[in-house]
Amino acid sequence: MTAQVIAGGDARATLRRNFRRGVWRVLRRKPSRMVGVVILGVFTFMGVFGPMLYPERLPRDDNALYAAPSWAHPFGTDFEGTDVLALVITGARYVLLTALVTAVITVALGTAVGLFAGFRRGRWDAVLMRITDMKLTIPALPLLLVLSTVWKFTSAIEMGLVLGLLGWGGVARAVRAQTLSLRERGFVEAARGLGLSTRHIIGRELLPSMAPFIAMNTLIAVTGAVYAQVGLFFLGVLPFDANNWGVMLNLAVFGGGALTTTTALPYMLAPLLAILLLTLGIVLVVDAMDEIFNPRLREE
Amino acid sequence: MFVPAEKVSMTLGERLSAAVGVRGDRSVEAARNTGAAEGTRDARRSGPPGVRIRDLSVVYRTAAGELPAVSGIDLDLPPGTITGVVGESGSGKSTLALSLLNAVQPPGRIRSGSVEIDGLGDVTRLRGENLRKARGRHIGYVFQAAQNSLNPLKTVGKQLLDLGRSHEIRDLRGLVRDAKDLLGRMGMDGARVLDSHQHELSGGMRQRVGIMFALVLNAHLVVLDEPTTALDMITQATILRIVREVHEERGLTTFIITHDLGVVAEIADRLAIMYGGRVVEQGPTTEVLGAPRHPYTQGLIRAIPRLVGDLGEARALPGRPPTLGTVPSRGCVFRERCDLRMDVCETEEPPAVPYGEWIVACHAVAARDAETREEKE
Amino acid sequence: MITGQHITKTFRQRGSVLAGREVKALRGVDFAIPKGGAASFIGESGCGKTTLGRIIAGLESHDSGEIIIDGTPMSSLRPRQREPYFRRIQLIHQDPYSALNPTRTVHQTLDAPLSLRAGQTGRSRSWVDGRARELLELVGLDPGYVLPRYPHQLSGGMRQRVVIARALTVDPEMLVADEAVSMIDVSLRLGILALLKDLRESLGVSVLFITHDVATARYIGDDGELYVIYRGQVVERGHVETIISDPVHPYTQSLLSAIPVLHGLERPGEQRVTPAGALDESRHDAGCLFARRCPFSTGRCESEQPVLGHGGDTPQEHACFHPTPRDVVAMPIGRS
Repeated sequence: MTAQVIAGGDARATLRRNFRRGVWRVLRRKPSRMVGVVILGVFTFMGVFGPMLYPERLPRDDNALYAAPSWAHPFGTDFEGTDVLALVITGARYVLLTALVTAVITVALGTAVGLFAGFRRGRWDAVLMRITDMKLTIPALPLLLVLSTVWKFTSAIEMGLVLGLLGWGGVARAVRAQTLSLRERGFVEAARGLGLSTRHIIGRELLPSMAPFIAMNTLIAVTGAVYAQVGLFFLGVLPFDANNWGVMLNLAVFGGGALTTTTALPYMLAPLLAILLLTLGIVLVVDAMDEIFNPRLREE
Repeated sequence: MFVPAEKVSMTLGERLSAAVGVRGDRSVEAARNTGAAEGTRDARRSGPPGVRIRDLSVVYRTAAGELPAVSGIDLDLPPGTITGVVGESGSGKSTLALSLLNAVQPPGRIRSGSVEIDGLGDVTRLRGENLRKARGRHIGYVFQAAQNSLNPLKTVGKQLLDLGRSHEIRDLRGLVRDAKDLLGRMGMDGARVLDSHQHELSGGMRQRVGIMFALVLNAHLVVLDEPTTALDMITQATILRIVREVHEERGLTTFIITHDLGVVAEIADRLAIMYGGRVVEQGPTTEVLGAPRHPYTQGLIRAIPRLVGDLGEARALPGRPPTLGTVPSRGCVFRERCDLRMDVCETEEPPAVPYGEWIVACHAVAARDAETREEKE
Repeated sequence: MITGQHITKTFRQRGSVLAGREVKALRGVDFAIPKGGAASFIGESGCGKTTLGRIIAGLESHDSGEIIIDGTPMSSLRPRQREPYFRRIQLIHQDPYSALNPTRTVHQTLDAPLSLRAGQTGRSRSWVDGRARELLELVGLDPGYVLPRYPHQLSGGMRQRVVIARALTVDPEMLVADEAVSMIDVSLRLGILALLKDLRESLGVSVLFITHDVATARYIGDDGELYVIYRGQVVERGHVETIISDPVHPYTQSLLSAIPVLHGLERPGEQRVTPAGALDESRHDAGCLFARRCPFSTGRCESEQPVLGHGGDTPQEHACFHPTPRDVVAMPIGRS
């Protein structure tokens, strides 16, 4: 890093630039991380542009029901003769959007509750943690089953909202534990001694120290949300309105008998492969989080 | 639990403690390093071993290539003496201590040189099971921050039995008896300590337990890495007294690594001052402290707060100690902070010049010495 | 001027099965630290000196007694009203590694409290930047080098200087330095001690130094007062040089005896005192607290509690029934 004259805004711009360079350096450090970034890039692309690549109604080919993989259909076709790859790509948006919404809500709510409880301690802590514990004891799946009878999750955002509201408890507990240990650190105590505001202490002193932890949790929440919703659709408790990896799995297994015969096997494996790849991409990138948010590891 | 590859060779007892230990690493390592593989416990043989370190260099692999943490060190530990090594952070003193056990961990490695221990040969050439056996038979190691190296989930006694079992000692009763004797010798209630968990013992007590673990397998060469750091003055004095007494009673060769000149001054017979990976001055403690020759030693002594004497006389050394990355590759490592700096210091590394038992590596000292000799002639 | 009157503090182990186990950290301590003055609290770990320092810095509550800052008793104020008073007292942590936020540069670290102050007093942005540089120069650092750096890029000594500079951003009246040099390289310790002494002289900041090493306490200023604390009680109190040259309490003598002798350079004192056992945790509270470890204790010490005073006409105050000066300090060997 170069020593230079620092003045307010300048300094911040320099820091941002150094941060971006640092992130790039960290990612390049291991090839696996770049692979992870590429995988996530591909999925992001699928989620954003996937549905635009295909017509609203995917073409059917009645002569090729459950066709074997070929150049025209790399993963074969489904029971209606629709290309499986196209289904996976167009189905990505719902899955990924739900996952994103879930992750954001889980982490934002969990972090906020955990930070507040851990920092304030005392009565607030007791009340918030009691609520968290109560929430943690509610079994999510049965609740979702009940909810799905009254609420059709047609929009991905609704789905994400529900999964997110069900999932923040663990993050809140973990963030609270981190906050409790961080607030005993010298620098937090010093900030209080200097009369700095609670907002400053939480936003500028505590949050950045927890950034790797929060980033990791976000990514892991994404995988969790993918499993949860795909699971729900697979079980068939939700209406099949849209293209969705879970719907595909359900139809492949219960409609096509993919577990007993080989004809529908590619139809089942394709969404599974997508989920596997997404998880792999996330795992590979999570590995870099610690180094990205720790200035010491970032610079070296 | 995930077991890293280098730990696969652990014995069952060690693996057990690794599996339950939250901070198991240190305790496992301690167990490994103190480990004797002998079934017999007759080891009160031979007497204290001598150690000869010759031209030892240890390098660490970094992004900037291999950097030396220790370079070209010659040091003797005469049998039955206490030798103290004093150095600041980054001086390479802990690396030197690890080299004595050939326990430098990657990314570090011993690049060259030898460490000859009586009855054992060159430790740097030992490998695998031989090394493990050799470590235990000869060398007891008290880790830096030994206060925290116990397994928090097991009593001291259980850890002692683990140690014994993992080193195939049949007479476990004898081992426990020896441990109790040692603890009693150090002023503690042996039975009670063996029944205690780490958190029930004070810092000074844990340090003594660490010393017990290093000695209970009858090692005659003992390495203590920062034995009194984080202890307060009275406890420190007690520990140092115990080290001295045990050293004499059991006939040991003792090697103490510390950043605190006072610790070495209090108990060591011989003393070596390290800076930037080199031993810059070594000799008998009282002589070196009485009339230090190397400018770094002089500065270090001046920098110690004293109880009496002129306050103005004490002064901090200017600058700061070098780190792995900032040690100059040419010339004298201390020149940046030195008052006596000459042109030759920039380019040539000062050779270690012996004055009897006293060895100094400094151009200025050598030059002054040559002058006085000329005058005499 | 900061004074404390009969401060007590007891830690109770909460939530434990052995509820009711308590540790008396402070048993009625009085102190007075004048403006621009120096004082040192000396004792073993666990003697209560750190707790007392934290109470003085407003980071810990006490059970009874009174802290008076510039004539205002703190008990007369609500917690919110106390804050500006305690802000005048800044704590310098023992560990410069945890005292600085590893994710923030030195510039950010100094900027936050200075900006807050600038906002309160209507000063400009440029004042903030100028003041940051001024403070760094005051503590002996090169602002150009240090400002853009993260803590991990600085040595322990430099970090501790940054910590001191940060404390100075609020123009404190007193710095409480808790073992402020124990984690710093030996060759650099005196530099930090000298800095604290300079700040006293140049800014009129008073310094409260907390340590287990009596020798370092001298370097804060030889006009300072020494409080020797044992198990939450002041056992000897007086002028630094007086206590070092003529300690009368056996505990003080033990502390002084424990300082390593630089053989070859010094000869040990002839009456070095070694206390029995470790810091006594047997919780016997009758009589003199040190009696069980004291090599000179008598029947009276076991049953009666000594009170701090000038008994035996000593220049310093002490809490001992048998005040006897002993030759425990190592003296330099005179070189001819």
